[in-house]
Amino acid sequence: MINIFKKTAIAGAMILSAGAALAEYPEKPIEVIVGYSAGGGTDVMARTAAPFIEKYLGEGASLVVKNMPGASGQIGVTEAANADPDGYTLGTFNLPGMMARTIDREAGYDRDSFTYLANVVNDPNVIVTSKRSGLDTLDKLLEEAKANPLAITVGMSSLGGDDHFALIKLQQATDTEFTIVPFKGSAPARTALLGGHVAMGILNISEVAEFQDQLNVLGVATRERSEFAPDLPTFQEQGLDLVNGSMRGFIAPAGLPEDVQAKLIDAFSQLSDDQEFLDAMAATANPVEVVTGEEFKQLTSDLYDLANSVWQTTPWN
Amino acid sequence: MYSDLLHALPDVFAWTNFVAVVIGVIAGIVVGAMPGLSATMAISVLVPFTFGLEPLVALGLMAGIYNGAMYGGAIPAVLLRIPGTPAAVATTFDGYPMAQKGEGGFALQVAVVSSSIGGIASAFALMLLAPPLSKVTLLFGPSEVFWVAVFGLASIIFLLGGNPIKGLISACFGVFVSVIGSDPIYGNDRFTFGQLEMLDGINIVILLVGLYALPPVIDLLETPLKTGGVNSSKLGTEPIWKALPRMKYWKTWLRGSFLGIWIGILPGAGGSMAAFMSYNEARRTSKNPEKWGEGEPEGVAAAEVANNADTASALIPALTLGIPGTAVAAVMLGGLLVHGLQPGPMLFRDNPDIVFGFMWQFLFGAILLVLLGGSLATNSFARLLNLPRPLLGSVIIVLMLIGVYSIHGRMFDVYLMLGFGAIGWVMDRLKFPLPPVVLGLILGGFAEENLRLALRIGRGDPMVLFQNVTSLILVALTVAVVVGPTLKKRFIDSRKKA
Repeated sequence: MINIFKKTAIAGAMILSAGAALAEYPEKPIEVIVGYSAGGGTDVMARTAAPFIEKYLGEGASLVVKNMPGASGQIGVTEAANADPDGYTLGTFNLPGMMARTIDREAGYDRDSFTYLANVVNDPNVIVTSKRSGLDTLDKLLEEAKANPLAITVGMSSLGGDDHFALIKLQQATDTEFTIVPFKGSAPARTALLGGHVAMGILNISEVAEFQDQLNVLGVATRERSEFAPDLPTFQEQGLDLVNGSMRGFIAPAGLPEDVQAKLIDAFSQLSDDQEFLDAMAATANPVEVVTGEEFKQLTSDLYDLANSVWQTTPWN
Repeated sequence: MYSDLLHALPDVFAWTNFVAVVIGVIAGIVVGAMPGLSATMAISVLVPFTFGLEPLVALGLMAGIYNGAMYGGAIPAVLLRIPGTPAAVATTFDGYPMAQKGEGGFALQVAVVSSSIGGIASAFALMLLAPPLSKVTLLFGPSEVFWVAVFGLASIIFLLGGNPIKGLISACFGVFVSVIGSDPIYGNDRFTFGQLEMLDGINIVILLVGLYALPPVIDLLETPLKTGGVNSSKLGTEPIWKALPRMKYWKTWLRGSFLGIWIGILPGAGGSMAAFMSYNEARRTSKNPEKWGEGEPEGVAAAEVANNADTASALIPALTLGIPGTAVAAVMLGGLLVHGLQPGPMLFRDNPDIVFGFMWQFLFGAILLVLLGGSLATNSFARLLNLPRPLLGSVIIVLMLIGVYSIHGRMFDVYLMLGFGAIGWVMDRLKFPLPPVVLGLILGGFAEENLRLALRIGRGDPMVLFQNVTSLILVALTVAVVVGPTLKKRFIDSRKKA
């Protein structure tokens, strides 16, 4: 009997205190954990978005970016997943990397560890070839790939990342085979392409935008032409069903109070209509595509399933 | 392009931008002089703050810190045989013996003048030759870069004198440390023992501080109290302009600048390799090589000119191709990105005032180094040595712990550093050379990654490593370094017999 009283009392107190906190959320600075070092793509996104989220959360809200670099973002995202779900710790989230890491190694989180707030950046993949390769159209590339399986070397930033999944999709769609050369990051891969050390590369549109003159860009893996480079054709225009990209967004630990979650998602969803924000993101080479809440969760889930099915047939390590 | 260069100049002299460079240089010297704090770290701490700053203020701070730190590392290297930064390892060879002879003040003056000259040469290379030099970078694919790393390792092992077998063992230890962490291709864990902290490999600063700073500190604390401070009686008595005529190292400066610029534009190797190569070359061509290592001022000049000559040149591939030549350049690239400056050929067209202004700031940073570094180092830092030995030792230990902890903010790194310290102390006692360990860590990972990429490109055929002229030249140089000294010795012996 006393127990029940106790429980109700505690529950009541919790509801009250939660209610009190909610009334004024956010009443203290919100920490955003970035799993990469300051100045990287994800960090720039977080810092560019922070003042706008502050604006939409309302008077007095303050976001503090905290860099916890290491282990390809694993240290930071694990920290965010295990933080108190009170709305005062958020984290950045990268797809498909964060999901791929739950498959290719033991991770301290899984896809149910998060409250999905919003995906903000979608940086589509592009296929580029070296000027020296002579493969300046998609048809020529595929013809060569079919004639000489594995003869074409493909530079990319890593295995198990968005570039790799794009190549797997390409291989499955066209029944071809390429030799993967996984560099450490996209800049060295791009440099090897410029120097003609590899024939083809899979990169992201933001990474080739400045180098369009020195490389052949064969196509963009989007449904519609990217606003980032409206002159570049999509693959679908060229009869190839290939849509893939690198995504970056924001998550919170699972189990966020519903009001807090609603307030945060509402703030994030306003980003897509804020011209000032869009301009700031364009200046830092971040193609914006805001997807919030349930949709973001579904997106993550789909990517997990894709990565998992790839892993079952062709594990990358 | 050259008119853009001039057009950018007035902005550089806006007082906020100029003060930023001055503050940067001073901060850089201080940071470089503290074992455990490096330019990479100082700039990474700075990057988040630069969001709110004007681009040239932020970049000026970075340019100043980079230049200052490359010299600052020489201060403890000369005074205590503790390199403040990885690039200052070669400075200890002759700088410390000079300090022991009571010429520490002159050694620091040589270091600051040489650093400044290297920095100026490098800034000019960046300003005038960035686009053509970036084409050179493109010649270096995975197989060429692999040979650069092998050449660097061979030089350290065989040219550094002493015992090549011990050198080889030291280098192997360094290469082993480079293997720890994620596999560069597949991402599997290697020797991490399940520690998430080790997944990114061993940070070079942790190894450097452990190996180099702990053994001298133990020595400091071991010696009896009665000796008081280290000999600093002759430090900083002579103003720098009076010391200048004693520095006749034009050949060494020229060669060191060239080597530093050259190694700077190759991705990955960085200042430490430049300093070693320059030191080796200067000693090889010296009239009295036997005096090297016993306090030859030219040795300090050779090392310091080269490790500053790679500063601005490391930014050439960073700005034009987005691949940084050094760890510091990598962090600076982040700083540029923050201000919407995307690396690439368009950068020079889209933001000429900022990019060229940044280059000017590099030049002025290098010039300011001589003015600020000369007096600051000799007047303040050298006095540290007047502290009683136990106090000095304790101060250094505290700095080491703070420095290493602040890299990632975790105690794990501190324990790791202390472990390397124990290894370093044993190696020191057994007379194993320490520089090959540092270079082994820097170049080992680099060699492995590029070898495996090259073999993938060749689809497993090792001939891919010998398929072009650049590779073959590097192979020939490596062979010359390995067998050269033996052949020379045989030649001299046979002439003696005859």
